[in-house]
Amino acid sequence: MESEYFFNAGVPPQALLFEQTSTSSSMPIWQSHSSPMEMQDNCSAHRLFNSNWEKSTDHGPHLESTLSSMVSSPGLSNCNVSSESFMIRELIGKLVSNGNSSNPGEISPHSQPMLAASYFTAANNSANTSCYTTPMSSPPKLNMPVMDQFSKEHLNIPSLGKPMGLNSSVAEFTADPGFAERAAKFSCFGSRSFNGRISQLGLNNAEMAKGCNPLMGNGKLARVASSPSLKAVESQKRDKSSPLQDRSDLTNSQESSVSEQIPSGEPGLKASMELNSRKRKALSKGKTKESASNPPVNATKDAETGDNSNAKRIRPNEGEENEIDPVKAEEEPKGSGDDSQNKANSKPPEPPKDYIHVRARRGQATDSHSLAERVRREKISERMKLLQDLVPGCNKVTGKALMLDEIINYVQSLQRQVEFLSMKLASVNTRLDFNMDTLISKDMFQSSQPLPHPIFPLDSSASAAIYGHQQQQNPPLHSNISNAAVTHCSMDPLDTAGLCRNLNTQLPPLDGFTQNAHQYPTFCEDDLQTIVQMGFGQNPSLETFPPQNFQGSNQVSHMKIEL
Amino acid sequence: MTTKHVIATTHTRSIKNRFARRFLRSLLKMKRSNRLGIGTGTGFQSNEEIRKRNTQRIKTSAYRSMARVVGPRKIWSRALLFKLRNQARIQVGLRKRCLVSRKKKVLRKETKVQVISKGPNRADNLRKLVPGGDSMDICSLLEETAHYIKCLATQVKVMQSIADLYST
Repeated sequence: MESEYFFNAGVPPQALLFEQTSTSSSMPIWQSHSSPMEMQDNCSAHRLFNSNWEKSTDHGPHLESTLSSMVSSPGLSNCNVSSESFMIRELIGKLVSNGNSSNPGEISPHSQPMLAASYFTAANNSANTSCYTTPMSSPPKLNMPVMDQFSKEHLNIPSLGKPMGLNSSVAEFTADPGFAERAAKFSCFGSRSFNGRISQLGLNNAEMAKGCNPLMGNGKLARVASSPSLKAVESQKRDKSSPLQDRSDLTNSQESSVSEQIPSGEPGLKASMELNSRKRKALSKGKTKESASNPPVNATKDAETGDNSNAKRIRPNEGEENEIDPVKAEEEPKGSGDDSQNKANSKPPEPPKDYIHVRARRGQATDSHSLAERVRREKISERMKLLQDLVPGCNKVTGKALMLDEIINYVQSLQRQVEFLSMKLASVNTRLDFNMDTLISKDMFQSSQPLPHPIFPLDSSASAAIYGHQQQQNPPLHSNISNAAVTHCSMDPLDTAGLCRNLNTQLPPLDGFTQNAHQYPTFCEDDLQTIVQMGFGQNPSLETFPPQNFQGSNQVSHMKIEL
Repeated sequence: MTTKHVIATTHTRSIKNRFARRFLRSLLKMKRSNRLGIGTGTGFQSNEEIRKRNTQRIKTSAYRSMARVVGPRKIWSRALLFKLRNQARIQVGLRKRCLVSRKKKVLRKETKVQVISKGPNRADNLRKLVPGGDSMDICSLLEETAHYIKCLATQVKVMQSIADLYST
């Protein structure tokens, strides 16, 4: 919320403030001419504008543009106020009426219809939206034809009531093709400028830019009358005014305004009515303060324009220009009190973000399910891949069902194999049960590092008993004999004894065996990846001797048993 | 072989080796008991029956040793050990009262058939094969299956090697 608020209060004002400050930076010219102007009311200010105009016209076209922007600044504030609260609306009405009543008289001596038109637009802006000021003031062509309409409208305004008058003026404005073109251009400008800032300012601005973009994209003239064009025109104003002034000034003022925005923005929002008067005072105080006080107004305006205009106004304006009236009527009840106004202003920022937030939540909510599902599926597929590696022939199969079938088949086959092998072993076991000891010893020795020594003795004991030189060669083995023999043979003393005898008797040519014994330590320490391999590896090494040996041992064991 | 290879295959080797040791030890134990049985009952029992029983025993011992080696980390090994223990208990009881247990077994089979007929599924088939798979979700079932397959493969290899060693 806060960030969003800042977006609305702080950031877009930055954009608008830029214009405001640009006007304020153009103020030096102004202030030199019209320092007393700012001290006074809106009406008087407007009147003084005229006086200023008289003076400033000397400066030529350069000042004209600045003036237009300058005129727009009070107009802007007025516009904001009008949209904000009914009280303000009334004030503006007075202002407009004053302007209407008094200004023509003042302008006429000027004998500059253009200026008068621009002034009118300024006065009109106070009631309408400030956007019209710039187009009106900047294009000399437009002003002349529109002049009459304006005068009529201004006359109408007090009688018709403010909103109606405003609408009619807007309608006629929009009806004017030349103005529409201008406005379209300006909106383009504005949208461009806004787009430039989107990256810096973020969400809300992006939305605002979206609000502006349709204008640019569609180029609909009716929409120009809507408030987004206001922003656009303002930004356009900035564009206009910026070439006239130093960039450095602009940036500086912007920075100062930015720095002051945040603190001043929130209190400024609270009492927009008071703010207006404050703003006038602030104007007199200095540019920076003006820029500081402006942002809240801009913020409120932005909030309203961002929400209302984008959402509501554009459509009504397309269809009937008069429908601006209900929109404003909607705004008025909102702004019945300052507090409620504040809420209304603080609320508008919510909807866009809320909407986005809700959308995100919605997406996430749907996503969370789908995410969980996705995670599960990923897990399963991962396992499937693992299984695919394990199960032979599973690589060819595509599809989980088939793969599962394959896996099932493989497991079944493995289990059957186990059964078959156990059967085989059982059959073997009855015949060759005596070899178990040797096998165990071998396997243990081969397989297990923990019991390497005990096994040596068995093999080496036999060999050692037979060959003394081997004992010499393997003193550690020999020393182990007793322990190992005890440990292993303790399980089957008779068998081991028989085995020993067997070995002694049946294995005279144990050179190979002893060699094997020599190799064992290296074997077991180094690789002997698997018992199986060991068994196989041993078999070739023992090929010549062991089979006979086993058989012999078997016979011996059987004999023993029989005995 | 290089030490790297040893390090890489340490785990499997250890499992394999431990299984082999356990299995051989159990075989040895069996052999001793068998010998006693043979010594006592050579005349009474037919060769087939003995072989059958031995086969069953060896199979059980192989499974048990594998499960023991794997330890209680995996669900399937736990389930397998539990089942084997139960089976042993049942077998002990079977000898005393064959008929009752058979009736019970029949009943159980019927219920099982009913359950299976409800939804013949591939996953269910796999559940039947993997010990303890009844209570697993598909994810863990696959994981357990993978490990079980690995262990079974090693088991088969070891047994094969032993059998080859003996048969030659």
